[in-house]
Amino acid sequence: MLKSLGYIMLFLILGEALRHLFHLPVAGNILGMIFIFLALRTRIISLDSVKPAADKLLNYMVLFFVPYGVGLMNHFDVVREHWGALALVVTVSTSMTLIITGYIQQILEK
Amino acid sequence: MKEYLLTSPMVWIFLTLAVYFLAQKVHVKLKWVLATPILITVSVLIVLLLALDIDFETYDQGGRYISFFLGPSVVALGVLFHEKYDEIKSNLIPFFAAVTIGGVSSIFIVLLSLIWLESPSFIVRSLAAKSVTTPIAIETTKLVSGIPAITAAVVIAVGIFGNVFGVPILRAFGIKSEMAIGTALGTASHGIGTARALDIGRSAAAYGGIAICVNGVVTAILVPLILDGFNFL
Repeated sequence: MLKSLGYIMLFLILGEALRHLFHLPVAGNILGMIFIFLALRTRIISLDSVKPAADKLLNYMVLFFVPYGVGLMNHFDVVREHWGALALVVTVSTSMTLIITGYIQQILEK
Repeated sequence: MKEYLLTSPMVWIFLTLAVYFLAQKVHVKLKWVLATPILITVSVLIVLLLALDIDFETYDQGGRYISFFLGPSVVALGVLFHEKYDEIKSNLIPFFAAVTIGGVSSIFIVLLSLIWLESPSFIVRSLAAKSVTTPIAIETTKLVSGIPAITAAVVIAVGIFGNVFGVPILRAFGIKSEMAIGTALGTASHGIGTARALDIGRSAAAYGGIAICVNGVVTAILVPLILDGFNFL
């Protein structure tokens, strides 16, 4: 568990460092995610060495974004003023994305 | 004493964990889609903070120790991607085409509809990444100077919408393939929506899981670039 959490933190640091160094317009943790995927694919690290911590983190991901949800209490005025736009984005844009994605996958897949 | 406790980070960390723990129990008991742990936990904590007249900044002195783990969670998605990669191998190109086109469409549909509604720039910046998993959406919003709390709320709503209406909408439009349903749920409504894919079948869940990762990457890379192109916003 400790070793796997260490690996995940290491890839997070790697992503953040590269983003900082090259002023990349992508979040450091996304870069870390891409690098850990590549390292696993090329067998630089083994799945067993990262799986324990990865599974725990994914399992509790919802808990980790609770504080951002609570942060909405500072923005009730925005919701009150723009609820129409928010509702439209949630319903119409999500429906269209579902249909476009599902349709393309269905006609192309084997 | 009361003042000391209510403004102490450890108390709010404890309350967040305790409320989330109870919310999971309630969720299992009720089996009602709106009673998701995240919705219950956030509502209870907001009501509690308002009732005790504690501001968010005080709460977040403790809360930020919890939300810190979103960073490593995104890295952990890379591990999930690797684990499920073999299940999509036979359909690699269709899958990547569907997720990329779907993800890009999502960004443009949001941008164009908000421009049409004449919404202010900070709304556009907060919603551009609304289809992807919460930690990635929050990071992307920070990068383009939106308001992460608004992103979090909309992303959760998108997930619940996808969870409830995703499969009926897809079926109404003739999309019946298990793999296509999974891909669509993962691309449009991230983890909360994809939870529904488990009812459809194993391959729907696998395609959904990888679609979450791939659209996360597509959106994280493209939103800052596209918003740069729409520099009048």
